[in-house]
Amino acid sequence: MTQRRIPYLILAPGLILLILFLVLPLISIIFPTFFNGGITFSNYTAFFLDEYNFGIFWRTIKVSLIATLICVVVGVPTAYYISQSPKKWRGLLMSITLFPLLTNSVVRSFAWITILGQDGIVNHALLTIGLISKPLTLLYTEFAIIIGSVYLFLPLMVITLVGILENIDSEIMEAAETLGANRLIAFVKVILPLSVPGIIVGSILVFTGSMTAYTTPQLLGGNRNIMLATFLYQNATALGNWQGASVIALIMIVATLIVMKLFNLIAGRLDKRGEVSA
Amino acid sequence: MRKNVGLKIFAILVFAFLLIPLLIIIVTSFGTNPTIQFPIKGFTFEWYSKVFTNESFTDSFSLSLEVAFIATLLALVIGVPAAYSLARHEVFGRNWIKSFFLSPTIVPGLVVGYAMYQFIVIKFQFPIIQGLLLGHFLICLPYVIRVVGSTIEQLDFSIEEVSWTLGCTKLQSFSKVVLPNITSGIFASFMLAFINSFNNIPVSQFLSGPGVTMLPTSLMNYIEYNYDPSVSALSVILMLGTIILMFIIEKTLGLASIS
Amino acid sequence: MSYVELKDIRVSYDNKSNILKDLNLSIEKGELVSLLGPSGCGKTTTLRVIAGLIEPNDGEFLVDNKNLTKVPVHKREFGMVFQSYALFPHLTIKENVAFGLKLRKEKKAAIGKRVEDILAITGLEELGDRYPKQLSGGQRQRVALARALVIEPKLLLLDEPLSNLDAKLRLAMRIEIKRIQSQLGITSVFVTHDQEECFSISDRVAVMNKGVIEQFDTPEEIYKNPKTEFVARFIGFENFFELTLTEDWKYRAVDGTFFESTGKYDQAKRTGTIRPDDIEITASNESSTNNMVAGKIKVRTFLGKSYQYEVETPIGTLLANKADDVIYQVGDMVTLFIPAHKLIIV
Repeated sequence: MTQRRIPYLILAPGLILLILFLVLPLISIIFPTFFNGGITFSNYTAFFLDEYNFGIFWRTIKVSLIATLICVVVGVPTAYYISQSPKKWRGLLMSITLFPLLTNSVVRSFAWITILGQDGIVNHALLTIGLISKPLTLLYTEFAIIIGSVYLFLPLMVITLVGILENIDSEIMEAAETLGANRLIAFVKVILPLSVPGIIVGSILVFTGSMTAYTTPQLLGGNRNIMLATFLYQNATALGNWQGASVIALIMIVATLIVMKLFNLIAGRLDKRGEVSA
Repeated sequence: MRKNVGLKIFAILVFAFLLIPLLIIIVTSFGTNPTIQFPIKGFTFEWYSKVFTNESFTDSFSLSLEVAFIATLLALVIGVPAAYSLARHEVFGRNWIKSFFLSPTIVPGLVVGYAMYQFIVIKFQFPIIQGLLLGHFLICLPYVIRVVGSTIEQLDFSIEEVSWTLGCTKLQSFSKVVLPNITSGIFASFMLAFINSFNNIPVSQFLSGPGVTMLPTSLMNYIEYNYDPSVSALSVILMLGTIILMFIIEKTLGLASIS
Repeated sequence: MSYVELKDIRVSYDNKSNILKDLNLSIEKGELVSLLGPSGCGKTTTLRVIAGLIEPNDGEFLVDNKNLTKVPVHKREFGMVFQSYALFPHLTIKENVAFGLKLRKEKKAAIGKRVEDILAITGLEELGDRYPKQLSGGQRQRVALARALVIEPKLLLLDEPLSNLDAKLRLAMRIEIKRIQSQLGITSVFVTHDQEECFSISDRVAVMNKGVIEQFDTPEEIYKNPKTEFVARFIGFENFFELTLTEDWKYRAVDGTFFESTGKYDQAKRTGTIRPDDIEITASNESSTNNMVAGKIKVRTFLGKSYQYEVETPIGTLLANKADDVIYQVGDMVTLFIPAHKLIIV
């Protein structure tokens, strides 16, 4: 009956385009990485065994982890503040948070060049006050990438959390306080557990974003601090190592998937409500 | 409403952290010094006029606009009916298909750009611009599916059923009853997709060539070799554009709908 | 042959369990028939089969001798009112009502006139240029009705149209619907779970349970002579007690008491039932004649116009109502008399 086929006809164009231009290209670059004489994982084992490569991989994980942690620690109270604000302020605060997100990431990362550079604002200020006698190397360090990543993804964490926190009944805090909890304890024991789904979703977004980011490491990391994404680009262009680039590509995809699964598992443990999808 | 002073100070610091870097850029865009400096000495608009006369900036700006526009349009044309079908029809493997449509968000942008470059441009000799359009289409599609999909799910199904009893075919019902009532979702997803396509760097990194460069890429290239305030000026122009867009969205939909 | 016929309709979603099976229903022209029952009984499914929104797995559906089983929804020309009213949010009231007419490519002037007329009949004249969100629940309901009626449908189908209104409006609106329906003489099928609402306006009622029509009769007949235990319970009968049939149409209860009933029943029926209002209470504790049983009062509740007594008797716990001319206390021994013409066997 043609009636039954109609949904498939409607979905077909999108599906075909996705298969042709996402799935096939991915398969075509990933497939060859498993061949080295015969079918093998050797390209991947070689990657991880190489000290230099592993260092890049580890740096990427480390930086992303730290950035995510900072975003959680900074983001939760900020989101809480916004969610408790009177309605008329909330709009403004959300706009302030949203604005950086909608601004180009080149602009956002570039701002930190001005701040962290040798001639930058921080060094300038510290020199003038007399705290240091020589400019600090802040730019082109892992520290710079971390700050840049936090700057990039903090709004994402905050916005995700505000959504969840707004749904928490404000009377719950009051109920906790009537039962004897002071404000801090009530926050830690009541609000925090309830906001775990939001923290998990936000963390997934921040972590995977940092892990796969290209702009920030490129602008703020320099050639000494390469992350997976910049490494891929380097291999594909400057080094002409297509094979290597493809290996990195699959590692990035798999790492993203593993991280998502891991965070969801943690979420499942911490929160009785079940799995969260980003 | 009891105020927790510590929290308030903390929040203010965070907002300052978010805004101050951008404010610094704005200030540096007016400096007379040939390199970026803060605080600035002197005041000039010359960097802004430099931006408008810089061909690589203006060309890449129009290209970014074009690509974002076409990619978003394509995403809407394909995505709106698909979102409708996923919400309303009993399709085998519905959830899998929906996840599949959203999958571009899981693949790192750089990888998408790289894969597409290898496959489409190198292997099949497509012009780069087509690869660019397709790559950006992949970025835009998930926004349409997600936003329009949820708008349709919130629409009362019985208004479609009642239109059938009044004599509409399924197609007439879609155009006369469904579409007019999901315009807010379509508009919101258009805005989101457009902004994210325009600002996108990773996908466009590989898919660029002579005459085919997107604005963020061109800006990045410029920064690699130059450190003059025209970068700041261009940044300010882009920020202004963002503010205008946010204003439009607020007036039509309310910003809450896209956050 | 009735105007509307449902023949042996079967509906099943997974081919393991049936939502409707062997469903048969005949409706005469101009009748208002209700489908009454608890949620899940299949009444909405039946209505949607009639509308064409569900295609039955087996069976036939005929209107005016034409087989419409395979005819798609948009060609059936039935008017339907949904529980949520389903007004088009993006159109004004006038545009909502005119929607069906515009599809039929009627002339603009003719459409305008017919819309005006129907708005007048449904009391909506002033509201033509407003939007649904500006209207109250009752007004929206009338718009949904007007929109369905203006196309002069062969059938009017109403799916719990009054459920979302408050009690007072429900009463007013059901009278409105009946008035308009009789005035226009339009054959209608009305789905509801509210027994009182249903009985007040229907010509005939089909009481449904688990996909089956247990009784299809006039409201008066169902009220007086429910045919099954389910129907009896649904319409307010309490006091179900076991009986065995003896010769010459007497029934014997578990404690040996004999009961007589004036009705004629199928031999298979074994349960006696009576409304609490119909049981007569006296203070003596003798149970010497037929249709009488003695008992002790366990609970007394106040119903307003009467008291309700829960009485423990040898044939079971019975509920009996009595006006406040004589008030009994908990622990009193009383005799309950069950009149033969009020005793129903199901």
